[in-house]
Amino acid sequence: MQRNSIWPLWICRGLLVGLGCLFSLPFFWMVSTSLKPLRETMKMPPVWLPLPPQWQNYPDAMAAMGPFWLYTANSFFLASLNVLGTVLSSALVAYGFSRLNWKGRDGLFFLLLMTMMIPFPVVMVPLFGLFRTLGWIGTMKPLWVPAFLAGAFNVFLLRQFFLALPRDLTEAARIDGCSEFRIFWQIILPLARPALLTVALFQFMATWNDFLGPLIFLAREEQYTLALGLQALQSTISGTPWHHLMAASTLVVLPVVILFFFTQKTFLRGIATSGLK
Amino acid sequence: MKYSPHPLLTSTVALILLGLGWQGCSAGKPKGQAPVVLEYWEKWTGFEREAMARLVDEFNSSQNRIFVRFLSVSRIDQKMMLATAGGVPPDVVGLWDVNLPSYAENNALLPLDRLAREAGLREKDYLPVFWKLCHYRGHQWALPSTPSVVALHWNKKMFREAGLDPERPPRTLAELESFNEKITRKNSDGSLAQIGHMPQEPGWWMPDFPSWFGGASWDGGPHLLLDSPSNRAFFQWLQSYPARFGGSELFKLRGGFGTFASPDNPFFQGKVAMILQGVWMDNFIRQYAPEGFSYGVAPFPESTPHPEAPLTIAQTDILVIPTGTRHPREAMEFISFVQQQKHMESLCMAQRKLSPLAKVSDDFYRRHPHPYLREFQRLSQSPRAQPTLCLPTMREYSNDLIIYSNLVLLGRMNGEQARREMAARQQKSLTAKLDRWERVSAVRTAVWDQELRP
Amino acid sequence: MTRKEKRSTLQGLLFIAPWMVGFLALNLYPFCASVWFSLCDYSVLSQQVYLGIRNFQNLIHDPVFWKALTNTLLFAAVSIPLSTIVSIGLAVLLNQPAGAQGFFRTLFFLPCLVPAISLAILWQWMLNGQMGLVNMALRPGLDFLNNLFGCTLRAPDWLNDPSWALWGLVLTGLWGTGQAMVIYLAGLQEIPAELYEAATLDGTSAWQRFLHVTLPMLSPVIFFNVLMGLIGALQTFAVPYILTGGGDGPGRSLLFLATYIYQNAFDFWNMGYASALALVLFLMIAILTLTAVHFGEKKVHYEGR
Repeated sequence: MQRNSIWPLWICRGLLVGLGCLFSLPFFWMVSTSLKPLRETMKMPPVWLPLPPQWQNYPDAMAAMGPFWLYTANSFFLASLNVLGTVLSSALVAYGFSRLNWKGRDGLFFLLLMTMMIPFPVVMVPLFGLFRTLGWIGTMKPLWVPAFLAGAFNVFLLRQFFLALPRDLTEAARIDGCSEFRIFWQIILPLARPALLTVALFQFMATWNDFLGPLIFLAREEQYTLALGLQALQSTISGTPWHHLMAASTLVVLPVVILFFFTQKTFLRGIATSGLK
Repeated sequence: MKYSPHPLLTSTVALILLGLGWQGCSAGKPKGQAPVVLEYWEKWTGFEREAMARLVDEFNSSQNRIFVRFLSVSRIDQKMMLATAGGVPPDVVGLWDVNLPSYAENNALLPLDRLAREAGLREKDYLPVFWKLCHYRGHQWALPSTPSVVALHWNKKMFREAGLDPERPPRTLAELESFNEKITRKNSDGSLAQIGHMPQEPGWWMPDFPSWFGGASWDGGPHLLLDSPSNRAFFQWLQSYPARFGGSELFKLRGGFGTFASPDNPFFQGKVAMILQGVWMDNFIRQYAPEGFSYGVAPFPESTPHPEAPLTIAQTDILVIPTGTRHPREAMEFISFVQQQKHMESLCMAQRKLSPLAKVSDDFYRRHPHPYLREFQRLSQSPRAQPTLCLPTMREYSNDLIIYSNLVLLGRMNGEQARREMAARQQKSLTAKLDRWERVSAVRTAVWDQELRP
Repeated sequence: MTRKEKRSTLQGLLFIAPWMVGFLALNLYPFCASVWFSLCDYSVLSQQVYLGIRNFQNLIHDPVFWKALTNTLLFAAVSIPLSTIVSIGLAVLLNQPAGAQGFFRTLFFLPCLVPAISLAILWQWMLNGQMGLVNMALRPGLDFLNNLFGCTLRAPDWLNDPSWALWGLVLTGLWGTGQAMVIYLAGLQEIPAELYEAATLDGTSAWQRFLHVTLPMLSPVIFFNVLMGLIGALQTFAVPYILTGGGDGPGRSLLFLATYIYQNAFDFWNMGYASALALVLFLMIAILTLTAVHFGEKKVHYEGR
């Protein structure tokens, strides 16, 4: 629906362009710094377009970080496992809370909602002890096994979606004698593909972005994610290598940005729905 | 209905199974006649790391029962604690002496009394101050690796330009201050161009500074000695700086200092003439100072001089064995290899530091690249060489000291008031900490005793 | 329960079994353990020593705790309203028929994708006192003001100045308002056009329409997002932790409650005290949520009520 603009069009356009520049400036600056030799990063007045661009900074930064490709592989490994676990378990649990009627269902769901109030710092110390007892510190298990145990937020999201699906489909299947699991797997899941995709995307971003989890639960350097590897680069005695840091930061941002550009519509729609409840 | 698996799902699952399998493989190691593999984490990088790497290679090739995997680890204190708490500790770790008390109390370290004795490492083989740094609450927790002591470093050119004899360092604090005033020069606008000495540069030993005024800050027990004459004198001395040079001018000058490890270091740039620094300073001078930079080393002046037994503060990097390692004996075997005079000297010489051992070979003196090694070694052998202050509440104490000393040096607070406030706060802190230790010591020391039982 | 009810309950439980296991292992057990630890002295490598409420007494007298709490609350109190205003403003701007909505929406949203580590490192560079972009942009403006009014304003050394560090962090947070903006934009697009048309016919100005149509219609969205934002702000950890290299920032101005909890747990290995601090955080969030829900029910307009 077209409405009249509250301001003259040129003001709107001007504001958009101005703010757009403001918001993209840090990105531009990050990439620009990553292509400068170190001395040039500190030149005043600032150099905007480094010529010639020091592409060498990128391999140098990767080398300075240590086993860069190992860290990347770890990050992807964790992200994929988390996505798989989250999608499967959240869908399963959301189905149980939405498409089935059973005694105690709503009470338990309320309990689930309550658990969303517990902040991570409260549970992180006992979890550390728990994982230690299980012998999981020193492995990556603390960072992906919990994904298979259905996080409250995703269950909530999927439940909303499942509730909106028409009842007749499942009723028909039930009358035919289908088991609930088959109904779940073959009717509901395919219908829920957009919602599942959203959950998958959110989980990928969340795992890729996760910092506190790896910080606490990863004890061996071979298992570090990119985030931890990048943090190690941050602290050096002889002045901070800004060009390397910016190069490495760009590399860490790249996968999520690329993923976003392929899944923009779903992603943005998912954010909107999650916020509008 | 026929079930046809989604291709994307299948491939993801396959990849994940692959990843899991690969993880599992790298975790397991073939057993049998293979040597015991020790993990040794060290904080060093660059040439310091190389020095130890050579020793590790030598150890590995000298026998085939033990293989040491040498890893350079950043934030080593944090990572070691995490790994130990998580139940997957390395076997040998290179820490700093300041970590010792809290790690011992937290049961992160194996008490080494018995192991060290069985390996033949005795007190008489070491300089007393470094042996002391490895002990805490009556037990031995570490062996020294590479030590350091501190001394006065002065810029000979700046002395000459101020009309002072470049070969004669100040011998008392009064002399230090008179030299300071001769060297300090102001710009036409009143700001400082250069200064002879300022306590904040580098300011790494603030908690130990009162010792140069004649006394300690802690009785080793429940009482801080911040009311002692030496501490009063120290704070008065701090206060004299803004009075003489201007608090904001001092800070403006300091704000313009470059990073320590660069040619912009104020000592190399001729902005500060006299500093208190450790034996490693020569390495940085070599690497970053301008051509022809000439400097001297002498004991840092005290309020009353003791030429026969000069005062210095000692620190050392240490080698420890975390609790929960599966090969403590083998770990100790490697550590005692490093402690042998021949190996220790080659390590310390390659890192251009002094040796912590009581006996020093002529070869060490002759081949050592540090121009002032004899001076540093002499300082470490002084009967008045002290371990660096190691309070249970060290973190809070040094944080407070930085804040209060900066306030006094800025001219914003009276020295006496700062001292009194800090004394009150820190005594409270220390008492609370010791009180806490009282309650938990039974449980903690029980673990020590258990680990010492054969 | 009848046999049929029993069967359906069993089936329901089977479906939610993953969550039940998770609830027991990851929520219930840790929460109860945390309460127990908060009453003890606990460093992982040895047994807990029961201390009663001593940790909580220490907490009340701990100036660092109060500093961390103040920082956290101050940050939340400033950044949430600010970012709400900015994101609503951006959403309104985007909602105007000025073209290229999709492009700009993506542009404003992109910063939210940046992982915390990259964000913190980038802004550490942006807020650098001498060479940071923020100060480079500020300096000409400040010089102009100095010349005009003869004052001596200087661009602050953000990350080293105790009075400015927190505001630097707020600035960093403002870069990430894109996510809320997307939500508000969707909310704006759901407002039926008839309401605006009716208001225009009544002769109201744009600002009045905004106040009396837009805001009330958006209020459930605003409410939900402000609540979520507050809960998130109270748990801020990653960005200040990385910015300060794991420390407190100048004069402890960047020490947040979550950072202090982490420090006590994994730097000082004072896990009993850390658990006590964490419980305080939990109580704050719980009280906040319950109060907000209670009040929100009254003040928020829902369409059709």
